[in-house]
Amino acid sequence: MPKVLIVDDEPFIRLLLEQTLEELEDDGVELITADNGETALEIIRAEAPEMVFLDVMMPKMNGFDVCQAVKNDLGLSEVYIVLLTAKGQEFDKQKGIDVGADIYMTKPFNPDQVLAKTREILGMAP
Amino acid sequence: MPPINIAKLIKRRDFAPVLNRLVAALGASVIIEDHHGKLLLSTADAVRQTGYPVSVAGEIIGWVNGNEQAGAIAALLCHQAESEFEKRTLAAETLNKYKEITLLYEMVEQVTCCLDTKEIARLVIEQAKRVLELSSVAVLLLDKESGLMELVATHGQELDGTRSIRPGVGIAGSVWSSGRAEIVNDVPADPRAAGSARVSSLMCAPLKAKDQVVGVIKLGSAQPVNYSADDLKLFTTLASLAAVAIENASLYEQLQEAFYTTVYTLAETIEKRDPYTGNHTKRVMEYSLAIGRTMGLDQETMTRLQLGAVLHDVGKIGVRDAVLLKESALTDEEFEQIKRHAVYGEEMISGISRLRTAIPGVRQHHEKFDGRGYPDGLSGEQIDITARVISVADSYDAMTTDRPYRKGLTIDEAFAELRKHAGTQFDATVVDAFFASDVMEAYFIANSRKKILDTID
Ligand SMILES: [Fe+2]
Repeated sequence: MPKVLIVDDEPFIRLLLEQTLEELEDDGVELITADNGETALEIIRAEAPEMVFLDVMMPKMNGFDVCQAVKNDLGLSEVYIVLLTAKGQEFDKQKGIDVGADIYMTKPFNPDQVLAKTREILGMAP
Repeated sequence: MPPINIAKLIKRRDFAPVLNRLVAALGASVIIEDHHGKLLLSTADAVRQTGYPVSVAGEIIGWVNGNEQAGAIAALLCHQAESEFEKRTLAAETLNKYKEITLLYEMVEQVTCCLDTKEIARLVIEQAKRVLELSSVAVLLLDKESGLMELVATHGQELDGTRSIRPGVGIAGSVWSSGRAEIVNDVPADPRAAGSARVSSLMCAPLKAKDQVVGVIKLGSAQPVNYSADDLKLFTTLASLAAVAIENASLYEQLQEAFYTTVYTLAETIEKRDPYTGNHTKRVMEYSLAIGRTMGLDQETMTRLQLGAVLHDVGKIGVRDAVLLKESALTDEEFEQIKRHAVYGEEMISGISRLRTAIPGVRQHHEKFDGRGYPDGLSGEQIDITARVISVADSYDAMTTDRPYRKGLTIDEAFAELRKHAGTQFDATVVDAFFASDVMEAYFIANSRKKILDTID
């Protein structure tokens, strides 16, 4: 059963992403949420989700650090990581590449595109 | 489909441990099944005694069967399902609102930097399709000449019949006259639809720029839909965004037109000194654009090409009539003077910032692919692509134009000449593109064109 992890400290964004991807649950995808970087890293290590939506700006452990830890872990380097950045906020693309993120997405995000991209990454029919 | 999937509910990470602990603490003996009776969970020693339904929003989503403690488990599941249901409903509504916001957000970004009215209409349709239930959309804009609203973009077939509308006629016509958006949920019953309706429900909004209605947008559904006040609000927001963008674009188009007209008038004034070349500039421009399109040049290069083609010979203003119009053979000195027109041309336009992109086309249009041209003896790709194109277009037109002292070549002869010099005088790729273009069409377009604009779509 493929797993998708949603990590954001803002409950609103978690709720929206969860709702956006909700229909995938009917196809057997499990959606997991986390509200901080540390928990996220624990979950990724324990569950090895296929895909992670990872907020960059979070207290304690930020998205860059989580991403780097995941991508440096041999067994986890295949996890597809989407960094979430806020529009208007300075986003260091170079850093995103350095820590091994696969793509980045600006909030507000387009729900239709997010759903389509997730299906694509999970290898599901559009 | 039940509003909440009980199988998923009892497996939720945040709930499953609570359920298990409660079952254990109560010493409950339970069998949990979904609404089809499919077994989801069972304690080791469970026996069926009493069945308790688990329901949410008045619908049974599953059963808990077992001893008297099973009732408590069922109550817990009911409560959990109910709160999950509330959360889902709220989340779905929030997501819908969020989609509207992203839509408007994207619209503003795309549309405000778009300067083409047709493109704007197309974008608006794309966005409307995403958030509103519809099978057709039509965007109509005021045509200042005919005084009617003319169709500029559509999606779906049902609204295709309306190619143009008059003020006050039909539903769109009355929205135009009143300037107010409308919902018509039962179109066939509306007398203004005059029995010709192919949609069951529609919404129509005016596109207003400074209180003037410059267009209308309508969308409809073949199946009956109950468009709500919320839908209309979203739709009119879309419409007002589109109106602002369209207004911008048409101002830009007017400016653009004024600019090109000025440029063309300049080129034409110079051309008039040599009355036998009639329409040469327009034809060179059309041939050049035809070649450019065949070669798939990008928009920016096409614009440079158009300007360069129009202005390629402006430098001739610096050549004396006695030399420029001389019908007998030129002396070497006279030919040197003629050759200077390429450099004069550059000097003339370099002072006008918007024309600077045309400089390579103007200065280099007499360069030859093998390096034997003038003024700089550039060769191959050193010569700007616009100049390589203009060179073919210009030469072909010169060859096929009659002069008082000589008859022009036939089209076949001119083609043969181009082919012969492909790779030496001309860039062979450009010559190939010229042959692959509709040269005759370009000829007729040039001759029938009054205005210079509208050529780059
Ligand atoms: Fe020339």
